[in-house]
Amino acid sequence: MTTMLDSPVPRVVDALRGERRARPRADHQSAGGLRALLEDGVFAVLGSVRPDTPLVVRANSLRQSPFTTDVTQSPLGPLRGTLIGELLRLLSVGMHIDDPFNDALLAWRAQSPSAEMADQFARLDSDELARLTTDVNAHFVTLRRALGPVPGQWLPRSALRVSQHLAGGDVVLRDHLDLMFGSTTTELASVTLLDLTSSPLGEHVERAMRYHALIQTLRTSTVPLRTAAFSTATGELWTRDVDSELLTRGVDDVIEAIGLAWATR
Amino acid sequence: MTTLLHRRLEPSLLMRLVGDAPEAPVCLTDDHRRSLGARFRAVGAVGHRRLDAWAVEQAGRATGAFHWSPTTARRVLGNGALRRTQHQPSLAILDAVRDEVTDQLLRATSGHARPGSLAYWLASSANPVIGTVSAEALNWAIQLDESARTITLPWSVAPSDAYYDVATARTTLRARRDVVVAAGDARVIVRIRSGSPGKSAGPGLRADLTIEALADPSGRAPARLIGLWPDAGVCLAVDGTMDDLRAGARDLVRTAVAQRRAQPARAA
Repeated sequence: MTTMLDSPVPRVVDALRGERRARPRADHQSAGGLRALLEDGVFAVLGSVRPDTPLVVRANSLRQSPFTTDVTQSPLGPLRGTLIGELLRLLSVGMHIDDPFNDALLAWRAQSPSAEMADQFARLDSDELARLTTDVNAHFVTLRRALGPVPGQWLPRSALRVSQHLAGGDVVLRDHLDLMFGSTTTELASVTLLDLTSSPLGEHVERAMRYHALIQTLRTSTVPLRTAAFSTATGELWTRDVDSELLTRGVDDVIEAIGLAWATR
Repeated sequence: MTTLLHRRLEPSLLMRLVGDAPEAPVCLTDDHRRSLGARFRAVGAVGHRRLDAWAVEQAGRATGAFHWSPTTARRVLGNGALRRTQHQPSLAILDAVRDEVTDQLLRATSGHARPGSLAYWLASSANPVIGTVSAEALNWAIQLDESARTITLPWSVAPSDAYYDVATARTTLRARRDVVVAAGDARVIVRIRSGSPGKSAGPGLRADLTIEALADPSGRAPARLIGLWPDAGVCLAVDGTMDDLRAGARDLVRTAVAQRRAQPARAA
């Protein structure tokens, strides 16, 4: 039996846009306070000791939890995630994609990928390569169906690599934003961040969403409107409006990650 | 004493830095040009020497050969796209990027592109690569637009980088510039950089400032040269003072010396 939904499933871009009338004024004031909280937290962890090399925190530093199983930790996971990310970039500029796996591979190789990833890809046997191809094609179908057309007026930016230095450079927060919409110069908050993952959504993804919002706030001194995550494994989309509570929890996550990184040195 | 301002990025920062720029920028005279030329000639060179802020920041160390990639193509295409939107405000930036890429491809198919040029490389690239190039150029153009749109004074996307050939020293100096702001009689130059500024970012900006002044026919230095690192949310700026120009010239000559010293070793 086929069940028809009485209303169309909302597209990811529609969900990210939300109600235009409900947008708050852009907050340009909170970044300083958040930075001060982070600096205090870093001092509480490191004290006056200066590490030989900077402690680096990434979104995936917050994802490690002994109680969860992350399917991206399978050997194919990182490659699959990278290739799906390339496809999102191509969709964001309206490219027509005929052959998802090969198109993603060409796009990935054009950007001089890291030697580690390139080596990992080169070592795949024919069975693993076939599985990766099938995976990427299947995840792409979910992505294309759910995403919807990306309007150019929303200023889509993809694969942004950003960083923030704390404690005079002793701590470096690095981030990779898969997709970002909106402007930091508008009167109303309009910046939306999307994290794309090829694994099911879980607590670790929620932490990553907070991390993206925090880094974006520190980088531009403007609090984003919304942070979101989409899973190409399940087709689930999580969106959270960014407020001071979410950012403060993001600060706590980062300080915890710095504490763990320092303890394992 | 040289100047170096360091600020965290915020929406109104660029306009503040433009507004605070010194009002009476200094001028380089023919004596300054002759003196710099003599110093470069004294260094000597095996082939033609090309120096820019990157060479200064790397202390003259040799870097890999240039090749086109989405990252190296983004600035040319992104700046071109933003220039289009300035002439045609109704044009969305994404459409301007597409037009810019299409123009490059047309140049190649009409036989106007030489091997090694961006047009030639794009024409020989697969569709997904062109898509990635477009995505990078779009990132660049939006970033530049976001930064520049807060400036209330007249501004424009620089039509080209600044070049200066040092007479009889087989040396070409190049300063990158992305946005030129007309601040009264003076001008302020904005340069966008990716990544985070390193310890030598200040000397790099001073090198740009000096080359920019040398490339000006009347030798007028920009009132201020602003470097934006949007990825790191950081902004550095140097003023167009004589001390900064001298420091920039000294760093350029030092870089030429370092390159010259490395040449025999490389040849061996």
